[in-house]
Amino acid sequence: MIDDRQDLLLQVNGARRRVSAEGSDTLLTVLRDQLGLTGAKRGCNQGVCGSCTVEVDGWPVRGCLSLAAACEGHEIVTIEGTGRDPVMAVLQRQFVVRGAVQCGFCTPGMLISARRLLQDQPRPDAEAVQAALSGNICRCTGYRKIIDAVLAAAEELAQ
Amino acid sequence: MTDPKGIAVGLSIPKFENQEKVLGEARYIADLQRANVLHAAILGSPVPHARIRGYDVSKALAAPGVVAVLTGDDVPDGRMGAFIKDEHALAKGKVLYVGEPVAAVAAETEAQARAACRLIEVDYDELPAVLSPEDGLAAGAPILHEHLADYVKVFDAGSGGNVASRTRFEEGDVDRAWTECDVIVEGEYTTQAQAHVAIEPCGALAEYEAGGRITLWSANQSVFRVQANVCESLNLPMTKLRCLTPRVGGGFGNKMEAHIQPIVVALALKCRRNVRMILTREEDFEIVRARHPFRIRMKTGAKKDGTLVAREIEVLLDCGAFADDSPGVLGYSLLMSPGPYRIPHRRAHGQLVYTNKLRFGAFRGFGQPQVSFAGEQQIDEIAGRLGIDPIEMRRRNMLREGDAWFVGQQVASNGLAACIDAVEKASGWRDRPKATRHGTKRRALGMSVTAHISGLLGTGAIVRVLEDGTVVLNTGATDIGQGSDTVLTQICAEALQLPVDKVSVASPDTDGSPYNWGTTASRVTYTAGRAVVGAARAVEAKLKQHASEMLECGVGDLELRAGGRVGIVGVPGAEVSFAAISGRAHWAVGGPIVGEHTLVFDQMTHDPKRAVAIGLPFARIGVFSFGAVVVEVEIDEVTGKTRVVEAWSAADVGRAINPQLVEVQLEGAFVQGMGLALFEEMVWDGPRLANPSLMDYKVPTSRDAPYAIHSIIVEAPEPDGPFGAKGAGEIGINVIPSAIANAVAAGTGHRHHHLPLTSERVLDGLIEAEAAA
Amino acid sequence: MTGPRLVRPATLDAALAVLAEEPDARCLAGGATLVAMMNAGLAEPGVLVALDGIAELRGITVADDGRVRIGAMTRHRETAADMRLAGGHAVVRQAASVIANAVVRNMGTMGGSIAFFDPAADYPPALVAADAEIELASAAATRRLAAREFFVDWYTTAIEPGEMVTAIHLPPAGTQPSIYRKHARTSGDYAIASLALVLDGAGARVAVGACGPVPLRSDAAEAVLAGRLADHDAVAEAAALLAAAADPVDDVRGSADYRRRLIPRLLQAAISELLDTREAA
Repeated sequence: MIDDRQDLLLQVNGARRRVSAEGSDTLLTVLRDQLGLTGAKRGCNQGVCGSCTVEVDGWPVRGCLSLAAACEGHEIVTIEGTGRDPVMAVLQRQFVVRGAVQCGFCTPGMLISARRLLQDQPRPDAEAVQAALSGNICRCTGYRKIIDAVLAAAEELAQ
Repeated sequence: MTDPKGIAVGLSIPKFENQEKVLGEARYIADLQRANVLHAAILGSPVPHARIRGYDVSKALAAPGVVAVLTGDDVPDGRMGAFIKDEHALAKGKVLYVGEPVAAVAAETEAQARAACRLIEVDYDELPAVLSPEDGLAAGAPILHEHLADYVKVFDAGSGGNVASRTRFEEGDVDRAWTECDVIVEGEYTTQAQAHVAIEPCGALAEYEAGGRITLWSANQSVFRVQANVCESLNLPMTKLRCLTPRVGGGFGNKMEAHIQPIVVALALKCRRNVRMILTREEDFEIVRARHPFRIRMKTGAKKDGTLVAREIEVLLDCGAFADDSPGVLGYSLLMSPGPYRIPHRRAHGQLVYTNKLRFGAFRGFGQPQVSFAGEQQIDEIAGRLGIDPIEMRRRNMLREGDAWFVGQQVASNGLAACIDAVEKASGWRDRPKATRHGTKRRALGMSVTAHISGLLGTGAIVRVLEDGTVVLNTGATDIGQGSDTVLTQICAEALQLPVDKVSVASPDTDGSPYNWGTTASRVTYTAGRAVVGAARAVEAKLKQHASEMLECGVGDLELRAGGRVGIVGVPGAEVSFAAISGRAHWAVGGPIVGEHTLVFDQMTHDPKRAVAIGLPFARIGVFSFGAVVVEVEIDEVTGKTRVVEAWSAADVGRAINPQLVEVQLEGAFVQGMGLALFEEMVWDGPRLANPSLMDYKVPTSRDAPYAIHSIIVEAPEPDGPFGAKGAGEIGINVIPSAIANAVAAGTGHRHHHLPLTSERVLDGLIEAEAAA
Repeated sequence: MTGPRLVRPATLDAALAVLAEEPDARCLAGGATLVAMMNAGLAEPGVLVALDGIAELRGITVADDGRVRIGAMTRHRETAADMRLAGGHAVVRQAASVIANAVVRNMGTMGGSIAFFDPAADYPPALVAADAEIELASAAATRRLAAREFFVDWYTTAIEPGEMVTAIHLPPAGTQPSIYRKHARTSGDYAIASLALVLDGAGARVAVGACGPVPLRSDAAEAVLAGRLADHDAVAEAAALLAAAADPVDDVRGSADYRRRLIPRLLQAAISELLDTREAA
């Protein structure tokens, strides 16, 4: 078999990581299969469900719609790499205590989107949260508790 | 039952695994990594109905990285199925729907496996296809299962031709009763196929152990059903297969029976290697299962004062290619079709018909959202004709405590009246106009009520006291994300008066866990909870025996004290810790303390003195939960688009072991039911599913769901439930399509008989109603 | 089975040179559509020319005379947030704001979206109603084409081999309001039908999306509307002309018949809303 793999140097969660990828490999594939970062999930591979949401240069994007090779030179952050961010820590705590987590498969992507919202808009109302999270499908919760957790996190951060 | 002292039960404790989930550390089936693993892919049938003449797998076998190709010729003749054993591990001899797995490849990479699948040649002798139940019943229709009569069936299904099962229930004298009615409504209704869309696609990982034993991990709702299905289809003794579960990314019925586990095990046995397969979203749509489309004819009659007299229902269910849970859905939907009402004369009958489509099966509500769509609209229609408020109409007719359900079972606890009161009050129903208009928007209220069961089938629990006095709970119940590990822990902790952090939960394991039929049918809290209480009682007895010897007193003088101690009643200082007792038991006297309890729900569904019941798939079904909902919808006159603005959903769950987890069941059920009501629909283009992707099949996003979903918990304790608890998982979805349809009717003047209530249908109805007015 | 070769030129000229040399090269803009198609096995490009490193393709500039240039690689997020797109240009901003969802809007670009051209997408009717021009470049030449000419047929544009979209130009717009309204099953879905409306003098420019192979615009309908926007009969007449010219299909989002019936309703509602806005202003 012809080996068309290409070595890439990616900046992931603050560290330089060498991976080898085919041209059609997505960032999601490389994160999960080569770097063992399985927090981002593959729910549809079509960019609809949002379970694969990660940050590139500070913006939430679809890991499944980003080609790994095109991510060289960009800063990639996954749920595993958000540990020191106080906004994320508050969001995570509120998700836990307010029951915003059911099966949890959408949760990492949901948190990535929610963090960006609170960075852009520290005191959103429920409608703004609904809008910001509409690219992250949750089939379990009905969204109510997720929205409440984000609102509570915003309130906690404002204090 | 001990009086709950509230050390754990009734508290909204965050689910234990929430923390690992928010950190991205939770491991689901696709996250499990194993050395020396092969990746598998499947080839789906391009045709809906054909005999397989043969295969040419030579090109696939020669393709890079390919280790094995599996076809119907390679799998044993075993058949699996919850009610009718009609399904092989993969197509054998015939294919019965487009997409049905006909072959599978194991290769070194997933891409290689997928590429090799495309090189397999299958010689099909195509047969005419049955694409609807009506076609399947027609004279001369092609027969899907020629050997149906020979299949093993777990109940008297009345099968024949393409009819997989028939059910008939009757009570009173329906034919005569119509003459007593002052008002009769009747109509025909249809409902659509809904996809589960658990956000995690199905997958499995089989680990080949030395000696040919397999350890199978998979996305599932029951490790025991996985074991049974794989072993039945592959003719394996159950000793040869151990089933385990990682975290499960949701399941609403789709992960209860088998998906690809038998194929993955067959490949692992063939290759003698670890094999993994994760479905794509498209495959998950095409080959797992979906909610049944129903065709319903219903007739309901009442007296002038609103008293219900009679109801008759006839249903025709599309079974798809395999029976799966469908006979259960047919029987259950008919059993529940009268709704939670006193109706003296009632008859329900229906047929389940094989078609050349994806199998339909269990989906939250188990047929109830469909029959409620007809039944609860008819209650509103009668109320409307008689000028009775819809809530008042329901109150007059509702089932009371001690009444019998359809075909005979006594209903014990009943919080229906309290549910109705709660949603009436919370929504401000009495003081609000039921329909208003502002510019091009109309708003309207609708309501609906329901009942659901919890209780089915076998369950066990084992509680062990460790040396340090902490406890391990083992029930075999898969937590699919709804929080049963936490809830069962709370029950165990309460029963033993321990803090919840002194109780750990064993992950389900067919080698080590007691049997649990599954996380399905709203049953885990009630049935596994009862088993846990029983096992904890056994532990308590042993603890007290030890304590009586240690404290030199009678067992009857002892009590459990919060925090893991046994003490003498009325003597504060006289006590011993669980740790001290367990140490004694481990090293000196009696042996380690283990308590166990098993049960199978034992109350009969059918009372033959009261009713006729033929083709009843559940002889002992369970206890009753109740629910009521009010929704406010907004309808856009420009497009017909309907959205829910606010909702009040109440459920009688007996006792909310963890109120937060009950609330989120109601909220999640609401939004899933709203999708069913308004836009979710699997569409077939001839035999082929036209929208097997999240691009084309839409589920509600955070913007489509109302923020203001108010969940209201009602507690009418079930006498034999664990601390009074009964099921909560499905009650919240049953009522949603009917409540939304009732609101749309109030807002537009048009009553809809077909789901979903797409903007197109609602606009048509609006225009029709305006033209008529 | 081998993936495409990715090249990441730093300049437009370098990108165009690759397009000129490699017949099976495709441009990779935000990836929101192309990578989804690759994942589904529906696209297998040999060479991918990533455009994200080319500065001249980025950003929105507004000239003193009111002309707007939107670089092809401008993300939907940036377009949706640019409040300089006001008055007659607001229609484009509004279209950007309802594409998919916030995460996809961080990825997708205007150039990528219109080059793929799904007739149920949001930009095509908005750009047609805004009288936008599409700037196309190849190694040999640069040209501009009216949006109406650019969208040719289902998933087909006027882009020639070796060419790519480099920018979208909007002519100066007055202060009169414009509006984009999408009717879809769920938030972020492609349109069942959509309508872009730009008030223009005493009349209006109207483009309907998702109701045919290209955004539907009718000179006859616009002639009827001229000077008679507040006249229900005129609006009905214009709507009938548009509906008659529509060529919708049945699909999982809605029937052709429903789409045709929506056109007058969307038009009437949009005109009412804009006239109210204008009066309020």
